[in-house]
Amino acid sequence: MSEAEVQKHDVIMIGAGPAALAAAVYTTREDIDTLLFERGVVGGLAAITDMVDNYPGFAEGIEGLTLAQNLQNQAERFGAVIELGEVTKISDEGDYKRLETTSGDMLARAVLIATGSDYKKIGVPGEKEYYARGVHYCATCDGAFYRDKKLVVIGGGNSAIQESIFLTRFASHIDLLVRSSIKASDVLQKELQKYVDDGKITVHLNTATDEIVGSDNVVTKVVGTKEGAKVEFETDGVFIFVGLVPNTQFLAGSDIELDEIGFIKTDKHLMTSMRGVFAAGDVRSGATMQIASAVGEGATAALIIREYLEGKLVPTSEHAEEIITPQPC
Amino acid sequence: MPKNITIFTTNTCAYCAMVKKYLSAKGHTWEEVNLDQNPERQAEALQLSGALTVPVTVVTKQDDSREVIVGYNLAKLAPAVA
Ligand SMILES: Cc1cc2nc3c(=O)[nH]c(=O)nc-3n(C[C@H](O)[C@H](O)[C@H](O)COP(=O)(O)OP(=O)(O)OC[C@H]3O[C@@H](n4cnc5c(N)ncnc54)[C@H](O)[C@@H]3O)c2cc1C
Repeated sequence: MSEAEVQKHDVIMIGAGPAALAAAVYTTREDIDTLLFERGVVGGLAAITDMVDNYPGFAEGIEGLTLAQNLQNQAERFGAVIELGEVTKISDEGDYKRLETTSGDMLARAVLIATGSDYKKIGVPGEKEYYARGVHYCATCDGAFYRDKKLVVIGGGNSAIQESIFLTRFASHIDLLVRSSIKASDVLQKELQKYVDDGKITVHLNTATDEIVGSDNVVTKVVGTKEGAKVEFETDGVFIFVGLVPNTQFLAGSDIELDEIGFIKTDKHLMTSMRGVFAAGDVRSGATMQIASAVGEGATAALIIREYLEGKLVPTSEHAEEIITPQPC
Repeated sequence: MPKNITIFTTNTCAYCAMVKKYLSAKGHTWEEVNLDQNPERQAEALQLSGALTVPVTVVTKQDDSREVIVGYNLAKLAPAVA
């Protein structure tokens, strides 16, 4: 591709989860030319969540897939363009940032990184070997293969509880292995108790997972340790929800500063250490990992990007930016 | 242009929606086998893909050769249906 053929945009958003889609609604309504890159599912993690009960405005809750579709439709209604592909590198060329992508190089005056996070692996023997053949990370994708079968779910946070409850619509019984104690919200814990009382889910606290064992290409049991003793759980499959890792691997070697875990550090205007590059949603250091907050950060980033593009966000010192004339929307 | 395309899906699978989105953007039609509605065809999906997951996309080429794509994998799906 010759340099003359490189596409130029006002804003490129990396990811098309709730944060970027919300941001795109705002930028496109301001007539700012906006392209989003999505390597996975439009709607991000929200799209693979069965039911979202805490997103304001939906009194009865809303299916994650429906919410994702609505967010996409709304952004596209105002002119957002979603390209299915991946951004693999970002570099600073002054007024423009260069993005290397699976569709070739692109230039953008401002960039929003909203790449969220992916499921963490536990790193035990058997996890990799039986991936998608008994070991899973997405209940809405793979749960249907376990009708009337026994399952083990590993994890003790909101996702693990929420997904265990979802999986009860297929599985005959679930052993929930929690390394220490349950860290989910009170509402989810109360909901979980109903399934425990019904005998559908058995919770095993202080239970570490050591190995996923199988034979003839199928998972047969999970071996763990509880209070120093070996424990075994017969199962047909394992779903793992033990937290998330930020999708920032593509920033390795760039000038964008990350925290010790790998989340992107931003200033009060959601700007990263690379001027003109902003971050919002789950990938941002300090994010609260909720759809409502991702959407809020997306909207905030979009309004600040507008100020930046108009030259109203000027550096006041090496590490601080000030919006000189904030404009109401 | 493939001869035909079959996608094994479930009701809640977002990656299945992405495969359909991509194929429709490229002007393809397909037959959908929804495993929530046809659980008896799960074994077929498993046999084709070797995996307990959806989407499974089966692309039959003009020469009747078959390519099976497991999951939403654009790097494999795009050339298979080109
Ligand atoms: C099982 C589960 C249940 C949940 N339930 C709830 C709930 O009930 N309520 C709630 O408020 N929150 C819930 N959450 C959290 C919520 O889904 C996230 O907070 C929200 O989706 C974050 O949005 P985001 O846009 O920041 O990131 P994401 O939704 O993660 O989207 C980021 C997108 O960027 C894409 N991407 C990553 N890297 C690249 C790249 N290099 N190039 C191109 N694209 C890229 C990814 O494919 C992804 O689609 C849940 C999460 C999980 C895992």
